[in-house]
Amino acid sequence: MRSLPGFGARGSLLAGWLLVLLASTSAFADSAPADILVSRQLLAKAHLSIGDVVTLAADSSGTRARRFRVAGVYEPTPDPMRFNVERIEARLHLDDLLQITADPANPASADAVSVINVGLQNASDPASVRSFARTLSARTPFIYSESTRDSDNYTFVVIDRFHAAIAAVTVIGSTAFLLALMVIRAEERKETVGVLRLIGISRKTIMTEVVVEGLLVAIAGAAVGVLIAAGAQSSVNRFFQARYDTTLIFMRISARIALRSIAVAVPVGVAAGAVASWTLLRRGTSALVRR
Amino acid sequence: MTAFALAWRTARRYRARAVLAVVGVAVIGALNFDMLLLSHGLMLSFADLINSTGYDIRIAGGTGLALSRTPLDNSTALMNEIAALPQVEAVAAMRTADAVIGKGRGAQQAELIGSSDAGGLGIWKPVSGADLSAPPNGAVAPAVISRPLSDLLHLTPGAVFTLRARIGDSLSAMPAVSLRVAGVAEFPFESQQAAIVATTMEGFRAAHGGVLNDQATFMFARSRRSAGPDAAAAAINRLRPDVHAFSNEQVIANFGRNAFTYFRQISIVLSTTTGVFSFLLVATLLTVSVNQRLGEVAALRALGIARRRIAATLLWESALLVGIGGLFALPLGELLALVLDRILRGMPGLPSGLHFFVFEPRSLALHAAVLAATALVAAMYPVWLAVKLPIAQTLRQEVVS
Repeated sequence: MRSLPGFGARGSLLAGWLLVLLASTSAFADSAPADILVSRQLLAKAHLSIGDVVTLAADSSGTRARRFRVAGVYEPTPDPMRFNVERIEARLHLDDLLQITADPANPASADAVSVINVGLQNASDPASVRSFARTLSARTPFIYSESTRDSDNYTFVVIDRFHAAIAAVTVIGSTAFLLALMVIRAEERKETVGVLRLIGISRKTIMTEVVVEGLLVAIAGAAVGVLIAAGAQSSVNRFFQARYDTTLIFMRISARIALRSIAVAVPVGVAAGAVASWTLLRRGTSALVRR
Repeated sequence: MTAFALAWRTARRYRARAVLAVVGVAVIGALNFDMLLLSHGLMLSFADLINSTGYDIRIAGGTGLALSRTPLDNSTALMNEIAALPQVEAVAAMRTADAVIGKGRGAQQAELIGSSDAGGLGIWKPVSGADLSAPPNGAVAPAVISRPLSDLLHLTPGAVFTLRARIGDSLSAMPAVSLRVAGVAEFPFESQQAAIVATTMEGFRAAHGGVLNDQATFMFARSRRSAGPDAAAAAINRLRPDVHAFSNEQVIANFGRNAFTYFRQISIVLSTTTGVFSFLLVATLLTVSVNQRLGEVAALRALGIARRRIAATLLWESALLVGIGGLFALPLGELLALVLDRILRGMPGLPSGLHFFVFEPRSLALHAAVLAATALVAAMYPVWLAVKLPIAQTLRQEVVS
């Protein structure tokens, strides 16, 4: 007999319980074992195959152990909250799970579930969902109900804010560097601008030319940035998916994100160009052509 | 004139670009510094948190996942056995249950903690009032409540409130019991807004109708100084192979392997990216700047200034931009770390005593090393351009143009 450490199991209607896989591929003579599904990771770790018979128990001493037949293997739904957790899991029929986990000293435990998921007809209305959860909690003091929107999603709202703050700092730093470069570039063109002013081209025209140039450079720069990110996307996903053995997508360049980055880059580029040019154009023509 | 003085004068001459470059390095350097703080911040913060308790060993059930271990059965006997070990100085147990304070739509969900240690097992820090050592006032057990709960329900030391424990795996609602607020405390292992009620084991039992199995959610042990936590944890594991005892160091190492790895990875990615970003930008600035001053450099060399001095001047220019920017990056980084820490600590369920950005001298040394390398590498190409410059041709071009 070989055993694996505890792993998570789910009944068809309830959240997990910790079970121990005690034995596998053993021949049993009694009644046909019930079917279970095992995760791809558990199948590999325990060297199981479809059709194998395994014994599951709620603890390592094998209390109320039962035999099951591995009927299939499944890929666990990617869960961003648990991406660094090895998905050693099995899915059982609810009745089968309760037979293993129920405490004989507590008859009520054979009819107990950890979580009940409720689908509401007007689930798209967050206020209505929260109201339902509050009312249910108030009417049944032994039940705690919560909108799934309120539970895990907020973590990602926080992470999104964190990323946004980092992006904002990066943009500020980049703007300073961009301004410095544009100032150098404007200095380089000092004499050219002076000559243009001498032959009668107005400040407005020169300024417009610089702004249009800045606009084109900013659009091209932002587009190249998006292309680099899109190219990196596949490598980043492949690396982390292999690292954590998951199908979770860690990085996705959507059209909205690409447009947002262009929308930030373009005004920054144009403004940097305009500011740098203004440092030249505000000088007199003679100052521009003087060596 | 020394190379440093020449570099300083050049920076002053091109003041606008120098100031902008310093601002850029300061901002990107601040982000880089923060990412270095983030890479170990959680670990350091968690270590501080766990070492601030009065116990150095955690004992949990032998099965289950790292953060959801099965409860310890026959806890009274187990406590006695562990307390009798020569390596162990003290043992305490805690139990947890969900509870509801009040009723109807205004009912407040709370976590009920039963503690065998009246001082709080180190899991709470007193704010006002006393701990659980006061004798019960008749049938009313003492309780220490978290500050958010105190603020929410306006409960101060001496106030009496009613609480109903919720029973897991059962559709039973327990009768409400009264508890007296002995003190208000911070619970650094719980989330910032957590509603916590800690009481004695007797109070915990009373909240369960006086009938309770002999389980404990966790046990804590304090090793004798002569034995040390690792030896004491090993002794407990030998005594009872069906439970798992971890020293604080083992818990911290486990936390480092499993918890919040995302932030460690993002800190590595971002600190590398910001380092490369700084290098590219400083190198570009210096290169463009040198290209603009080719005639000046050629004139200096024609006057007999050695290549080595020209190279040293450019190196100093790079060092000045990166060095001054890097110095400004430290206070800016501390400020930014406060903002980012506040954002991240908004995560639901995060222990209130945990911080993401924690200062350590190692991070400062690494930050300085990254900046020094950036200054050095960024100056390489401009230096190469300047020392390989054909003097006569460059001067001629300068005159002709």
